[in-house]
Amino acid sequence: MKGSYGVVIFYSTSAALRAESLAKRENLKIKLIPVPRHLSSDCGVCLRFESEERATLQKILQEGKVEYKDICNL
Amino acid sequence: MINNSNGWKEFFSSRKNVIFTGIFIGISAAFLQKLGNPPNMGICVACMLRDTAGALGLHRAEVVQYIRPEISGFVLGSLIAALIFKEFKPRAGSAPLVRLVLGFWAMVGSLVFLGCPWRTLLRLAGGDGNALFGLVGLIVGIIIGIFFIKAGYNLGRNERTYPLVGWIMPVVMVVLLLLLIFRPQLPSGAVFFSRQGPGAQHAPIFIALLVALGIGFLAQRTRFCTVAAVRDVILIRDNYLITGVISLWLAAFISNLLLGQFHPGFTGQPIAHSSQLWNFGGMVLAGLAFTLAGGCPGRQLFLTGEGDADAAFFILGMMGGASFAHNFATASSSTGPSPWGPPAVIIGFIVCLIIGFSRSDLGRAKEGEKNE
Repeated sequence: MKGSYGVVIFYSTSAALRAESLAKRENLKIKLIPVPRHLSSDCGVCLRFESEERATLQKILQEGKVEYKDICNL
Repeated sequence: MINNSNGWKEFFSSRKNVIFTGIFIGISAAFLQKLGNPPNMGICVACMLRDTAGALGLHRAEVVQYIRPEISGFVLGSLIAALIFKEFKPRAGSAPLVRLVLGFWAMVGSLVFLGCPWRTLLRLAGGDGNALFGLVGLIVGIIIGIFFIKAGYNLGRNERTYPLVGWIMPVVMVVLLLLLIFRPQLPSGAVFFSRQGPGAQHAPIFIALLVALGIGFLAQRTRFCTVAAVRDVILIRDNYLITGVISLWLAAFISNLLLGQFHPGFTGQPIAHSSQLWNFGGMVLAGLAFTLAGGCPGRQLFLTGEGDADAAFFILGMMGGASFAHNFATASSSTGPSPWGPPAVIIGFIVCLIIGFSRSDLGRAKEGEKNE
Protein backbone atom coordinates (compact mmCIF):
# COMPACT_ATOMS: atom_id res chain seq x y z
CA MET A 1 0.00 0.00 0.00
CA LYS A 2 1.48 3.25 -1.12
CA GLY A 3 0.42 6.47 0.55
CA SER A 4 -0.45 9.58 -1.39
CA TYR A 5 2.18 11.82 -2.86
CA GLY A 6 2.75 15.50 -3.44
CA VAL A 7 5.37 17.44 -5.35
CA VAL A 8 7.31 20.64 -4.79
CA ILE A 9 7.92 22.66 -7.94
CA PHE A 10 10.97 24.91 -8.06
CA TYR A 11 12.21 27.80 -10.15
CA SER A 12 15.38 25.98 -11.11
CA THR A 13 16.79 22.47 -11.37
CA SER A 14 19.58 23.38 -8.99
CA ALA A 15 17.07 24.45 -6.33
CA ALA A 16 15.39 21.04 -6.70
CA LEU A 17 18.76 19.32 -6.25
CA ARG A 18 19.49 21.38 -3.16
CA ALA A 19 16.09 20.54 -1.68
CA GLU A 20 16.73 16.88 -2.41
CA SER A 21 20.02 16.86 -0.55
CA LEU A 22 18.55 18.73 2.44
CA ALA A 23 15.58 16.36 2.64
CA LYS A 24 17.78 13.30 2.25
CA ARG A 25 19.88 14.45 5.16
CA GLU A 26 16.68 14.30 7.27
CA ASN A 27 15.86 10.84 5.86
CA LEU A 28 12.61 11.89 4.18
CA LYS A 29 11.24 9.53 1.54
CA ILE A 30 11.62 11.85 -1.42
CA LYS A 31 12.52 11.42 -5.08
CA LEU A 32 13.35 13.78 -7.91
CA ILE A 33 10.97 13.29 -10.83
CA PRO A 34 10.18 15.27 -13.99
CA VAL A 35 7.46 17.85 -13.36
CA PRO A 36 4.13 16.06 -14.03
CA ARG A 37 2.79 17.35 -17.33
CA HIS A 38 -0.58 18.42 -15.97
CA LEU A 39 1.04 20.68 -13.37
CA SER A 40 3.42 22.68 -15.46
CA SER A 41 4.83 22.74 -18.96
CA ASP A 42 8.38 23.26 -17.72
CA CYS A 43 10.75 20.48 -18.69
CA GLY A 44 12.38 20.72 -15.28
CA VAL A 45 12.46 18.36 -12.36
CA CYS A 46 10.51 18.50 -9.12
CA LEU A 47 10.65 16.81 -5.73
CA ARG A 48 8.09 14.13 -4.94
CA PHE A 49 7.30 13.52 -1.27
CA GLU A 50 4.93 11.35 0.76
CA SER A 51 1.97 13.38 1.95
CA GLU A 52 2.48 12.65 5.64
CA GLU A 53 5.94 14.23 5.44
CA ARG A 54 4.68 17.45 3.90
CA ALA A 55 4.99 19.61 7.01
CA THR A 56 8.51 18.38 7.77
CA LEU A 57 9.61 19.00 4.22
CA GLN A 58 8.16 22.50 4.21
CA LYS A 59 10.05 23.27 7.39
CA ILE A 60 13.30 21.95 5.90
CA LEU A 61 12.84 24.07 2.77
CA GLN A 62 12.10 27.14 4.87
CA GLU A 63 15.10 26.63 7.12
CA GLY A 64 17.35 25.88 4.15
CA LYS A 65 16.01 29.01 2.40
CA VAL A 66 15.17 27.05 -0.75
CA GLU A 67 12.72 29.07 -2.80
CA TYR A 68 9.94 27.10 -4.41
CA LYS A 69 7.14 27.91 -6.79
CA ASP A 70 4.38 25.66 -5.61
CA ILE A 71 3.44 22.54 -3.66
CA CYS A 72 0.78 20.31 -5.23
CA ASN A 73 -0.88 17.03 -4.40
CA LEU A 74 -0.53 14.24 -6.93
CA MET B 1 5.13 -13.12 -15.91
CA ILE B 2 1.89 -11.26 -15.37
CA ASN B 3 3.69 -8.71 -13.26
CA ASN B 4 6.24 -8.31 -15.98
CA SER B 5 3.76 -7.71 -18.76
CA ASN B 6 1.84 -5.31 -16.54
CA GLY B 7 5.08 -3.47 -15.98
CA TRP B 8 5.61 -3.09 -19.72
CA LYS B 9 2.00 -2.09 -20.23
CA GLU B 10 2.40 0.63 -17.64
CA PHE B 11 5.69 1.68 -19.18
CA PHE B 12 4.05 2.22 -22.55
CA SER B 13 0.79 3.71 -21.34
CA SER B 14 2.53 6.36 -19.27
CA ARG B 15 4.82 7.12 -22.18
CA LYS B 16 2.62 6.50 -25.17
CA ASN B 17 2.17 10.17 -25.98
CA VAL B 18 5.85 10.99 -25.94
CA ILE B 19 6.62 7.81 -27.91
CA PHE B 20 3.95 8.80 -30.43
CA THR B 21 5.45 12.29 -30.66
CA GLY B 22 8.91 10.86 -31.32
CA ILE B 23 7.55 8.50 -33.98
CA PHE B 24 5.58 11.32 -35.60
CA ILE B 25 8.67 13.56 -35.78
CA GLY B 26 10.84 10.72 -37.11
CA ILE B 27 8.42 9.70 -39.86
CA SER B 28 7.67 13.34 -40.73
CA ALA B 29 11.35 14.12 -41.12
CA ALA B 30 11.89 11.19 -43.49
CA PHE B 31 8.85 12.14 -45.57
CA LEU B 32 9.68 15.86 -45.67
CA GLN B 33 13.04 14.81 -47.07
CA LYS B 34 11.29 12.61 -49.63
CA LEU B 35 9.08 15.58 -50.52
CA GLY B 36 12.04 17.86 -51.14
CA ASN B 37 13.79 18.91 -47.92
CA PRO B 38 17.60 18.51 -47.97
CA PRO B 39 19.05 15.04 -47.25
CA ASN B 40 19.16 13.95 -43.61
CA MET B 41 17.64 17.35 -42.92
CA GLY B 42 13.93 16.60 -43.09
CA ILE B 43 13.80 18.62 -39.91
CA CYS B 44 16.68 20.55 -38.36
CA VAL B 45 15.88 23.46 -36.12
CA ALA B 46 19.36 24.98 -36.36
CA CYS B 47 19.59 24.65 -40.16
CA MET B 48 16.06 25.94 -40.62
CA LEU B 49 16.65 29.00 -38.46
CA ARG B 50 19.87 29.57 -40.40
CA ASP B 51 18.04 29.35 -43.74
CA THR B 52 15.38 31.76 -42.48
CA ALA B 53 18.05 34.24 -41.29
CA GLY B 54 19.57 34.00 -44.77
CA ALA B 55 16.26 34.66 -46.51
CA LEU B 56 15.89 37.84 -44.48
CA GLY B 57 19.36 38.91 -45.59
CA LEU B 58 21.03 38.55 -42.21
CA HIS B 59 23.73 36.52 -43.93
CA ARG B 60 24.68 36.22 -47.60
CA ALA B 61 25.46 32.54 -47.99
CA GLU B 62 23.49 32.16 -51.20
CA VAL B 63 22.96 28.41 -50.93
CA VAL B 64 21.17 28.52 -47.56
CA GLN B 65 18.45 31.13 -47.89
CA TYR B 66 14.83 30.08 -47.53
CA ILE B 67 12.05 30.91 -45.09
CA ARG B 68 11.37 27.50 -43.59
CA PRO B 69 7.66 27.17 -42.83
CA GLU B 70 8.50 24.41 -40.34
CA ILE B 71 9.84 27.02 -37.89
CA SER B 72 6.58 28.97 -37.95
CA GLY B 73 4.65 25.70 -37.70
CA PHE B 74 6.50 24.63 -34.55
CA VAL B 75 5.80 27.90 -32.77
CA LEU B 76 2.19 28.20 -33.93
CA GLY B 77 1.40 24.52 -33.26
CA SER B 78 2.67 24.91 -29.73
CA LEU B 79 0.69 28.17 -29.38
CA ILE B 80 -2.53 26.42 -30.45
CA ALA B 81 -1.97 23.57 -27.96
CA ALA B 82 -1.11 26.03 -25.20
CA LEU B 83 -4.24 28.10 -25.88
CA ILE B 84 -6.53 25.04 -25.96
CA PHE B 85 -5.11 23.56 -22.76
CA LYS B 86 -4.77 26.91 -20.99
CA GLU B 87 -0.99 26.80 -20.84
CA PHE B 88 -0.38 30.00 -22.75
CA LYS B 89 1.46 31.86 -20.01
CA PRO B 90 3.38 34.94 -21.14
CA ARG B 91 6.51 35.10 -19.01
CA ALA B 92 9.85 36.89 -19.16
CA GLY B 93 12.73 38.19 -17.17
CA SER B 94 15.11 35.26 -16.72
CA ALA B 95 18.37 36.72 -18.03
CA PRO B 96 17.26 37.38 -21.62
CA LEU B 97 20.63 38.71 -22.76
CA VAL B 98 22.48 35.70 -21.35
CA ARG B 99 20.04 33.42 -23.18
CA LEU B 100 20.66 35.38 -26.36
CA VAL B 101 24.39 34.75 -25.94
CA LEU B 102 23.80 31.04 -25.24
CA GLY B 103 21.64 30.78 -28.37
CA PHE B 104 24.33 32.52 -30.38
CA TRP B 105 27.07 30.06 -29.37
CA ALA B 106 24.76 27.06 -29.56
CA MET B 107 24.25 27.93 -33.22
CA VAL B 108 27.95 28.54 -33.89
CA GLY B 109 28.69 25.08 -32.44
CA SER B 110 25.84 23.44 -34.34
CA LEU B 111 27.07 24.90 -37.63
CA VAL B 112 30.58 23.55 -37.10
CA PHE B 113 29.04 20.07 -36.75
CA LEU B 114 26.25 20.89 -39.24
CA GLY B 115 23.07 20.10 -37.34
CA CYS B 116 21.04 20.48 -34.18
CA PRO B 117 20.30 17.55 -31.82
CA TRP B 118 17.35 16.52 -34.02
CA ARG B 119 19.49 16.45 -37.12
CA THR B 120 22.15 14.52 -35.21
CA LEU B 121 19.55 11.77 -34.75
CA LEU B 122 18.32 12.11 -38.34
CA ARG B 123 21.84 11.92 -39.75
CA LEU B 124 22.40 8.73 -37.75
CA ALA B 125 19.07 7.40 -39.00
CA GLY B 126 20.21 8.13 -42.55
CA GLY B 127 23.44 6.17 -42.06
CA ASP B 128 25.82 9.10 -41.54
CA GLY B 129 28.49 7.71 -39.20
CA ASN B 130 30.06 11.13 -38.67
CA ALA B 131 27.01 12.04 -36.62
CA LEU B 132 28.12 9.54 -33.96
CA PHE B 133 30.92 11.96 -33.04
CA GLY B 134 28.41 14.78 -32.89
CA LEU B 135 26.15 12.71 -30.64
CA VAL B 136 29.00 11.90 -28.26
CA GLY B 137 29.94 15.61 -28.25
CA LEU B 138 26.35 16.56 -27.49
CA ILE B 139 26.23 14.17 -24.53
CA VAL B 140 29.58 15.42 -23.22
CA GLY B 141 28.31 19.00 -23.50
CA ILE B 142 25.17 18.10 -21.57
CA ILE B 143 27.26 16.38 -18.87
CA ILE B 144 29.36 19.54 -18.45
CA GLY B 145 26.09 21.50 -18.17
CA ILE B 146 24.85 19.07 -15.50
CA PHE B 147 28.05 19.68 -13.56
CA PHE B 148 27.04 23.36 -13.32
CA ILE B 149 23.40 22.54 -12.49
CA LYS B 150 24.60 20.34 -9.64
CA ALA B 151 26.72 23.26 -8.46
CA GLY B 152 23.64 25.45 -8.15
CA TYR B 153 23.58 26.97 -11.66
CA ASN B 154 20.49 28.94 -12.59
CA LEU B 155 19.70 32.04 -14.60
CA GLY B 156 17.21 33.48 -12.17
CA ARG B 157 13.50 33.01 -12.35
CA ASN B 158 11.05 34.39 -14.84
CA GLU B 159 7.91 36.37 -14.01
CA ARG B 160 4.44 36.27 -15.47
CA THR B 161 3.94 39.22 -17.73
CA TYR B 162 1.25 40.83 -19.89
CA PRO B 163 -0.17 38.94 -22.90
CA LEU B 164 1.38 41.26 -25.50
CA VAL B 165 4.83 39.80 -24.75
CA GLY B 166 3.67 36.28 -25.53
CA TRP B 167 2.05 37.28 -28.82
CA ILE B 168 5.06 38.97 -30.38
CA MET B 169 6.81 35.85 -31.67
CA PRO B 170 3.65 34.18 -33.00
CA VAL B 171 2.95 37.35 -34.98
CA VAL B 172 6.52 37.34 -36.29
CA MET B 173 5.99 33.72 -37.36
CA VAL B 174 2.82 34.62 -39.27
CA VAL B 175 4.67 37.50 -40.98
CA LEU B 176 7.43 35.07 -42.00
CA LEU B 177 4.81 32.76 -43.51
CA LEU B 178 3.30 35.67 -45.46
CA LEU B 179 6.75 36.63 -46.77
CA LEU B 180 7.24 33.03 -47.86
CA ILE B 181 3.89 32.78 -49.61
CA PHE B 182 3.91 36.16 -51.36
CA ARG B 183 7.68 36.38 -51.93
CA PRO B 184 7.99 40.17 -52.21
CA GLN B 185 11.06 41.23 -54.20
CA LEU B 186 12.61 44.47 -52.93
CA PRO B 187 15.35 46.41 -54.74
CA SER B 188 17.80 45.25 -52.06
CA GLY B 189 17.25 41.69 -53.26
CA ALA B 190 15.27 40.69 -50.18
CA VAL B 191 13.49 38.39 -49.63
CA PHE B 192 16.37 36.08 -50.61
CA PHE B 193 15.61 32.58 -51.86
CA SER B 194 18.38 30.17 -52.84
CA ARG B 195 18.42 29.04 -56.47
CA GLN B 196 20.69 26.10 -55.71
CA GLY B 197 22.07 24.20 -52.73
CA PRO B 198 20.19 23.10 -49.60
CA GLY B 199 18.24 26.36 -49.51
CA ALA B 200 16.64 25.49 -52.86
CA GLN B 201 15.55 22.08 -51.58
CA HIS B 202 12.24 22.15 -49.80
CA ALA B 203 8.99 20.28 -49.37
CA PRO B 204 5.72 21.93 -50.51
CA ILE B 205 4.96 24.85 -48.20
CA PHE B 206 1.58 23.78 -46.92
CA ILE B 207 2.51 20.16 -46.28
CA ALA B 208 5.61 21.27 -44.35
CA LEU B 209 3.54 23.78 -42.41
CA LEU B 210 0.83 21.26 -41.52
CA VAL B 211 3.33 18.64 -40.38
CA ALA B 212 5.17 21.23 -38.29
CA LEU B 213 1.91 22.44 -36.72
CA GLY B 214 1.25 18.84 -35.69
CA ILE B 215 4.74 18.45 -34.24
CA GLY B 216 4.46 21.76 -32.36
CA PHE B 217 1.11 20.71 -30.93
CA LEU B 218 2.31 17.26 -29.80
CA ALA B 219 5.62 18.52 -28.47
CA GLN B 220 3.93 21.20 -26.38
CA ARG B 221 1.70 18.54 -24.83
CA THR B 222 4.50 16.05 -24.13
CA ARG B 223 7.35 18.52 -23.31
CA PHE B 224 9.43 16.72 -25.94
CA CYS B 225 13.08 17.79 -25.59
CA THR B 226 16.21 15.98 -26.69
CA VAL B 227 18.57 17.74 -24.31
CA ALA B 228 16.32 17.40 -21.25
CA ALA B 229 15.94 13.71 -22.21
CA VAL B 230 19.66 13.09 -21.73
CA ARG B 231 19.76 15.37 -18.69
CA ASP B 232 16.91 13.49 -16.97
CA VAL B 233 18.56 10.12 -17.56
CA ILE B 234 21.86 11.27 -16.07
CA LEU B 235 20.57 13.58 -13.35
CA ILE B 236 17.47 11.83 -12.00
CA ARG B 237 17.52 8.44 -13.78
CA ASP B 238 14.21 9.15 -15.46
CA ASN B 239 13.59 7.75 -18.94
CA TYR B 240 10.29 9.44 -19.91
CA LEU B 241 11.73 11.86 -22.47
CA ILE B 242 14.48 9.56 -23.72
CA THR B 243 11.89 7.00 -24.86
CA GLY B 244 10.51 9.73 -27.12
CA VAL B 245 13.96 10.54 -28.46
CA ILE B 246 14.74 6.88 -29.17
CA SER B 247 11.34 6.54 -30.89
CA LEU B 248 12.22 9.50 -33.10
CA TRP B 249 15.47 7.87 -34.16
CA LEU B 250 13.92 4.43 -34.73
CA ALA B 251 10.98 5.82 -36.71
CA ALA B 252 13.29 7.88 -38.90
CA PHE B 253 15.62 4.92 -39.38
CA ILE B 254 12.84 2.55 -40.45
CA SER B 255 11.23 5.20 -42.67
CA ASN B 256 14.58 5.87 -44.33
CA LEU B 257 15.05 2.14 -44.99
CA LEU B 258 11.60 1.93 -46.58
CA LEU B 259 12.08 5.09 -48.63
CA GLY B 260 15.57 4.11 -49.81
CA GLN B 261 17.13 7.01 -47.92
CA PHE B 262 19.51 4.93 -45.79
CA HIS B 263 23.12 5.16 -47.00
CA PRO B 264 25.56 3.95 -44.34
CA GLY B 265 29.10 5.30 -44.35
CA PHE B 266 31.41 8.11 -43.37
CA THR B 267 32.38 9.65 -46.70
CA GLY B 268 30.19 11.51 -49.14
CA GLN B 269 27.43 12.02 -46.58
CA PRO B 270 25.11 14.90 -47.48
CA ILE B 271 25.73 18.27 -45.82
CA ALA B 272 28.29 16.74 -43.47
CA HIS B 273 32.06 16.50 -43.10
CA SER B 274 34.43 13.92 -41.66
CA SER B 275 36.56 16.04 -39.37
CA GLN B 276 35.59 14.06 -36.30
CA LEU B 277 37.37 16.26 -33.78
CA TRP B 278 35.23 19.23 -34.79
CA ASN B 279 32.06 17.22 -35.27
CA PHE B 280 32.63 16.37 -31.63
CA GLY B 281 33.84 19.81 -30.52
CA GLY B 282 31.03 21.73 -32.22
CA MET B 283 28.42 19.67 -30.44
CA VAL B 284 30.16 19.86 -27.04
CA LEU B 285 29.71 23.62 -27.32
CA ALA B 286 26.11 23.29 -28.53
CA GLY B 287 25.20 20.71 -25.87
CA LEU B 288 26.63 22.86 -23.09
CA ALA B 289 24.83 25.98 -24.35
CA PHE B 290 21.51 24.11 -24.71
CA THR B 291 21.79 22.67 -21.21
CA LEU B 292 22.65 26.03 -19.65
CA ALA B 293 19.60 27.49 -21.43
CA GLY B 294 17.37 24.59 -20.31
CA GLY B 295 16.48 22.89 -23.57
CA CYS B 296 17.23 21.95 -27.17
CA PRO B 297 16.34 24.40 -29.96
CA GLY B 298 13.11 22.56 -30.76
CA ARG B 299 12.02 22.89 -27.18
CA GLN B 300 12.94 26.60 -27.19
CA LEU B 301 10.59 27.10 -30.16
CA PHE B 302 7.76 25.27 -28.38
CA LEU B 303 8.34 27.36 -25.24
CA THR B 304 8.27 30.48 -27.42
CA GLY B 305 4.82 29.38 -28.61
CA GLU B 306 3.68 29.10 -24.99
CA GLY B 307 4.62 32.74 -24.42
CA ASP B 308 8.11 32.29 -22.96
CA ALA B 309 9.96 35.45 -23.99
CA ASP B 310 13.25 34.16 -22.61
CA ALA B 311 13.12 31.18 -24.97
CA ALA B 312 12.39 33.66 -27.75
CA PHE B 313 15.64 35.46 -26.91
CA PHE B 314 17.47 32.15 -27.26
CA ILE B 315 15.94 31.72 -30.73
CA LEU B 316 16.89 35.28 -31.72
CA GLY B 317 20.39 34.54 -30.45
CA MET B 318 20.49 31.45 -32.66
CA MET B 319 19.54 33.53 -35.69
CA GLY B 320 22.26 36.01 -34.77
CA GLY B 321 24.70 33.13 -34.35
CA ALA B 322 23.76 31.75 -37.78
CA SER B 323 24.37 35.13 -39.37
CA PHE B 324 27.71 35.43 -37.61
CA ALA B 325 28.70 31.89 -38.56
CA HIS B 326 28.19 32.56 -42.27
CA ASN B 327 29.32 36.20 -42.40
CA PHE B 328 32.48 35.48 -40.41
CA ALA B 329 33.05 32.08 -42.03
CA THR B 330 32.97 29.89 -38.94
CA ALA B 331 30.38 27.48 -40.36
CA SER B 332 31.66 24.21 -41.81
CA SER B 333 30.98 23.01 -45.33
CA SER B 334 30.94 19.49 -46.74
CA THR B 335 34.68 19.80 -47.33
CA GLY B 336 35.32 20.27 -43.59
CA PRO B 337 35.48 22.93 -40.90
CA SER B 338 36.53 26.41 -42.00
CA PRO B 339 39.79 27.76 -40.52
CA TRP B 340 37.74 30.03 -38.25
CA GLY B 341 35.41 27.28 -36.99
CA PRO B 342 37.65 25.70 -34.34
CA PRO B 343 38.76 29.02 -32.77
CA ALA B 344 35.11 30.11 -32.65
CA VAL B 345 34.15 26.88 -30.89
CA ILE B 346 36.89 27.38 -28.31
CA ILE B 347 35.88 30.99 -27.66
CA GLY B 348 32.22 29.98 -27.36
CA PHE B 349 33.16 27.20 -24.97
CA ILE B 350 35.05 29.66 -22.76
CA VAL B 351 32.08 32.06 -22.81
CA CYS B 352 29.71 29.24 -21.76
CA LEU B 353 32.10 28.17 -18.99
CA ILE B 354 32.17 31.75 -17.70
CA ILE B 355 28.36 31.82 -17.68
CA GLY B 356 28.25 28.45 -15.92
CA PHE B 357 30.78 29.40 -13.28
CA SER B 358 29.42 32.86 -12.58
CA ARG B 359 25.81 31.69 -12.25
CA SER B 360 26.56 28.71 -10.01
CA ASP B 361 27.78 28.53 -6.42
CA LEU B 362 31.32 28.14 -7.76
CA GLY B 363 31.32 31.77 -8.82
CA ARG B 364 28.70 33.26 -6.55
CA ALA B 365 30.46 32.17 -3.35
CA LYS B 366 33.24 34.56 -4.28
CA GLU B 367 30.83 37.40 -4.82
CA GLY B 368 29.38 36.77 -1.37
CA GLU B 369 25.98 36.21 -2.97
CA LYS B 370 25.46 32.77 -1.50
CA ASN B 371 22.92 32.87 1.30
CA GLU B 372 23.60 29.98 3.58
